Amino acid sequence: MLSIKNLHASVGGKEILKGINLEIKAGEVHAIMGPNGSGKSTLSQVLAGNDAFEVTSGEVTLNGDNLLEKETEERAREGVFLAFQYPVEIPGVSNLQFMRTSVNAMRHHRGEPEMNAAEFMKLAREVSKQVDLDPAFLKRGVNEGFSGGEKKRNEIMQALLLQPKLAILDETDSGLDIDALKVVSDGVNALRAKDRAILMVTHYQRLLDHIVPDYVHVLADGKIVKSGGRELALELEARGYAWLGIKDEATAASSAN
Amino acid sequence: MKPAPTLLSTAFLHPAGQALPGPLLALRKQRGAALVDMPLPTRKTENWKYSSKYLKLTDEMATSLPTDGKTGSALAVPGYKVVFINGVMVPEASEYPDLNNILIQRFGDLSDAEASELAERLDTTLDTKAVQFAGLNSARFEDGLVIRLKPDAVLDQPLFIIHEVTADASGSAFPRIFVDAGRNSQITLVEEYISSGQEAVFVNSVTEFTLAEGANVTNIRLSMGGENVQHIGATGVTQQRSSRFQSHCVGFGGPLRRHDLQVRLEGEGAECKLNGVVVTQGTQHYDNHTTIEHIAAHCDSEETYRNIAADKSHAVFNGRIHIHQDAQKSNANMNNKNLLLSTGAEIDTKPELEIYADDVKCAHGATIGQLDEESLFYLVSRGISRREANVLLTMAFINELVAQIPVDAVKDTVQTRLNQFFDQAFQEA
Ligand SMILES: Nc1ncnc2c1ncn2[C@@H]1O[C@H](COP(=O)(O)OP(=O)(O)O)[C@@H](O)[C@H]1O
Ligand SMILES: [Mg+2]
Repeated sequence: MLSIKNLHASVGGKEILKGINLEIKAGEVHAIMGPNGSGKSTLSQVLAGNDAFEVTSGEVTLNGDNLLEKETEERAREGVFLAFQYPVEIPGVSNLQFMRTSVNAMRHHRGEPEMNAAEFMKLAREVSKQVDLDPAFLKRGVNEGFSGGEKKRNEIMQALLLQPKLAILDETDSGLDIDALKVVSDGVNALRAKDRAILMVTHYQRLLDHIVPDYVHVLADGKIVKSGGRELALELEARGYAWLGIKDEATAASSAN
Repeated sequence: MKPAPTLLSTAFLHPAGQALPGPLLALRKQRGAALVDMPLPTRKTENWKYSSKYLKLTDEMATSLPTDGKTGSALAVPGYKVVFINGVMVPEASEYPDLNNILIQRFGDLSDAEASELAERLDTTLDTKAVQFAGLNSARFEDGLVIRLKPDAVLDQPLFIIHEVTADASGSAFPRIFVDAGRNSQITLVEEYISSGQEAVFVNSVTEFTLAEGANVTNIRLSMGGENVQHIGATGVTQQRSSRFQSHCVGFGGPLRRHDLQVRLEGEGAECKLNGVVVTQGTQHYDNHTTIEHIAAHCDSEETYRNIAADKSHAVFNGRIHIHQDAQKSNANMNNKNLLLSTGAEIDTKPELEIYADDVKCAHGATIGQLDEESLFYLVSRGISRREANVLLTMAFINELVAQIPVDAVKDTVQTRLNQFFDQAFQEA
């Protein structure tokens, strides 16, 4: 489904992704782990089409189509979904209006009729229950004043509404307490499907206790330095990144304190 | 090239229409005499600094637009309606109730006694030294509407005043409204400025409100004239004890748009809330100058203005709050945010605070920014088109103010005009 070949990307002239290679087939769940600053979010944003990042070389295809030449909105309509590490707050645009506009843009793309406000409200209420988000959040501004965990649940809610082909989840587990982690991982597990690929980006392996990946990759300094099955995550948990000869600033900083 | 004229052409000092009671004719004459040698604003005129270059008056524009046989656009409104065409009321097109406690009269129908009382009060709500064009209106009005609410009178539906200019020839119009809101009376007055025809015209309007103790007045003002209309308008308000004035000004740009809004809080406990939304595009201009005078103690003012400028347009906001020495315990809040939709657009904003009392709460803020790239990316990453994302974020900037417009039909009119603005400003890539 997703094929990444020798992807290089930079921001402000600084190279961040230094030759990523990755193949993900339909139905698979891949986890990308790596220390802070290794380029996980950059990879996620590049796949979604954020032009703050410049792709300097390489190739990315989704079901054979060149993804990199498409606009962000086209990628989304063709099934790419990114759950942001830091979802953006947009006061003045209601969450409900935002999600309905999004769902209808997708429906329009597929040649389906738009959902009216009442139909969408019904659907949104159901899905908000699934991620344990009070329907009152639908009336608020997009992510406006949401806690970290509420923002993440709101991202998963959108994934459930949009039913993407490729879901990229950028640290959807960070900042969650145990209960919220359970809700979010139930949401992600509900997304698992034969015709869908999931790319989970995470700094910690605790999400992988709830969502068992088919493959685990370790990203360090813009490159995938090791790939394996889920046992690789357990090994990282037990031995830390240093075991792979990777400097993890966060770990180093915390042990220095 | 001929140098730009520095004085108002004397062609502007010849009022038409003599069908007014004597005291009003006398007032007009007196105001006209005061305008001989009136300097036209230039770049050096402080309160016209950014806007003088847009003012282009020709002698052809000095002629009053003809009013005979015009019926106007016959808008349906959810409420009472008074139609003014080219500054003159059209009774056949107007529908309003004949009540004992709310008198709605055109100037021409006033008795000499009533007219003389009105003449005493016209212009008293405005600082005509700062707002010179209000003086021009007083020298030129051919008709006008006076609305007098007796104590406790409540107008049960909004009163729409449709000010239309029919620009089939070059000329000008000078509509005039005076509202005298008695003790504890209530009214919602909607003013819509519209135009038809394509010739270059000049509209010079003045609306005044005097609010007696406890009066509650809501004024919605929509400026929607065409690309051929230069419009200089002024609104003056005086407020006595515990009165409340709410203003919603929504303006769409033009070759020249100027609105001065002056509120005097003269009685303790008076409150005013001033909301403003301006959108400009192409090479349009819009200039809002507001002044709030806190004269009595314990008054509250809250002002929220938003400007959105696209393309090469130019929006100006100047908000002055003046807290007089005796106005202790004043609460004044002024907020102006500006959105530039293009690097070629210009917005000039200047909040001015003058405080002479020591026990007051005052806050003001002004910002200028662009649409947020991160927010745009978030929206388009959900399949929303760039155009729609732009519209959502631009609407987000003014939603709150549009939502506060207390008459649904007006809200719809505003939204329709905004949609036209978006169609032009954000064309599909
Ligand atoms: N917009 C940006 N401008 C400059 N540097 C950036 C920007 N975004 C990310 N970086 C840098 O790129 C590197 C990778 O960041 P990121 O992809 O966010 O890492 P991760 O998600 O793995 O923590 C870091 O060194 C970070 O400082
Ligand atoms: Mg990250």
